[in-house]
Amino acid sequence: MSVRATMKGGLLLALAAVVALPAAAQDGDLRAQVVAAKHRVQLLEDQDAIENLQGMFGYYFDKGLWDQAAAMFTAKGSFEYGQRGVYIGPARIRQSMLLFGPQGLAQGYLNNHMMLQPVIVVAPDGRTATGRWQGMVQLAQPGANGIWGVGVYENDYVKEGGVWKIASLHFYVTGFTDYDKGWMKAAYPMAGQSALFPPDRPPSEVYRAYPSAYIPPFSFRHPVTGQSLRDIRQPADDVVGRP
Amino acid sequence: MMMTRLLARALLAAAAAGPAMAQSAAAQSTADRLAALDQRITRLEDLNQIERLQRTYGYFVDKGQWTQLSELFTDDATLEIGGKGLFLGKKRVLEYMQTAFGPDGAKEGVLANHMQFQSIPDIAAGGTRGWVRARAYVMSNGGWGLPLYENEYRKEGGVWKISRLSGPFTMYTNWDGWGKNALNNTWPDKFEPAPDLPPSTVYLTYPAYYIVPFHYPNPVTGKPFLADKAEAGAYAAPPGTKAQQAALKVGRLADGTQPIAEPPKD
Repeated sequence: MSVRATMKGGLLLALAAVVALPAAAQDGDLRAQVVAAKHRVQLLEDQDAIENLQGMFGYYFDKGLWDQAAAMFTAKGSFEYGQRGVYIGPARIRQSMLLFGPQGLAQGYLNNHMMLQPVIVVAPDGRTATGRWQGMVQLAQPGANGIWGVGVYENDYVKEGGVWKIASLHFYVTGFTDYDKGWMKAAYPMAGQSALFPPDRPPSEVYRAYPSAYIPPFSFRHPVTGQSLRDIRQPADDVVGRP
Repeated sequence: MMMTRLLARALLAAAAAGPAMAQSAAAQSTADRLAALDQRITRLEDLNQIERLQRTYGYFVDKGQWTQLSELFTDDATLEIGGKGLFLGKKRVLEYMQTAFGPDGAKEGVLANHMQFQSIPDIAAGGTRGWVRARAYVMSNGGWGLPLYENEYRKEGGVWKISRLSGPFTMYTNWDGWGKNALNNTWPDKFEPAPDLPPSTVYLTYPAYYIVPFHYPNPVTGKPFLADKAEAGAYAAPPGTKAQQAALKVGRLADGTQPIAEPPKD
């Protein structure tokens, strides 16, 4: 990562030198090539910035640093976790995070949300982006056994005033189980909407976690065929009423 | 850092030479430099793209999207997972997945997450071949697993595809964990379908270990590391020790092969 960041820094330097050459200034074709090259480097930098943005969110969220985590959203940004509903704007997002534990987490809490496997696609205009991440969760609360969790993030990002921010963070929880018992013996349902801090909107999609099966919709196209992956068939669920 | 310094030196040289050059020569040199830059940018994009392919492969495995998964491969791709043997061609990749793991789709009561991370991507000088070493951490309702990938990718008509997927296992265990249980998950006849070719390498999983050959040299010394290639490549003890040398000869058949485990009786 840092090697690639250094290389991109070098590329920008080299580009600046190319632009500065008097001969290039007189040649429209070369100028267009430089503009195109600059744009491609910009998109690479944007992808790196977004990867870091999401990773940084994770490190704050793990430790209950709700102030820091909530500040990463746009003014109308949204946060949705499992079936808890949608919270809109940094103030409400911060409040909803108290449902995961106190600010700074108290003793005996573990709130690890590891984020792996990013597929980030920056829009050609470099203003918005989407990201899919694999979520692996380790939870603990005082007096309770440890919990494993899994899920998928499908997030939207937007660049405002040259800074990438989270426009929408949607963590599709797909299962929670007991640390010792495992998936064959324990499957916990997701938390619903809070009575204490009700969400601004109900869940954007109603589904059940494991043992039901659910496929969080893909934001990106198939990398080889270029086909949309949005219409992948969902498994049937008699309880939810999905055929 | 070194890259930046090299670039700075090149730029200084260019600045000194620039004004003296005839205009056409300068334009030529600018075009050359732009072409070189284009190559470097393309390489960065390609590195990203083969990583993206590998991660997408993981998302498709998780949800049993076998048709979508097979579309990630070249027509002549090879696939070898665990000790199952080699499957030749995109069609056989699809047949393998659908026969071994059922029709397309996520299934109720099944969790089979293959979380992908720690990828080391590389692109060959020509810009049409690439490699990724990466690992998956499997969390399934059956337990835990650790495949390690050394894959090859090919750019066809401007599109990167998987041309070889090779995923030997490091460790498989049930939910009790590797302190209590180790599952040797490497025999070809464990489940249908039969492979087109036998396994390319016979190896053992934890508590023995196998060093998957590296597609790249040590990034600091620049020297390649080669594990004991002449032997089966399976280690019951650290390489270079007497115990390992002895283990390599245990149970070896007349043709030199080493049966790795008794398949289950059921």
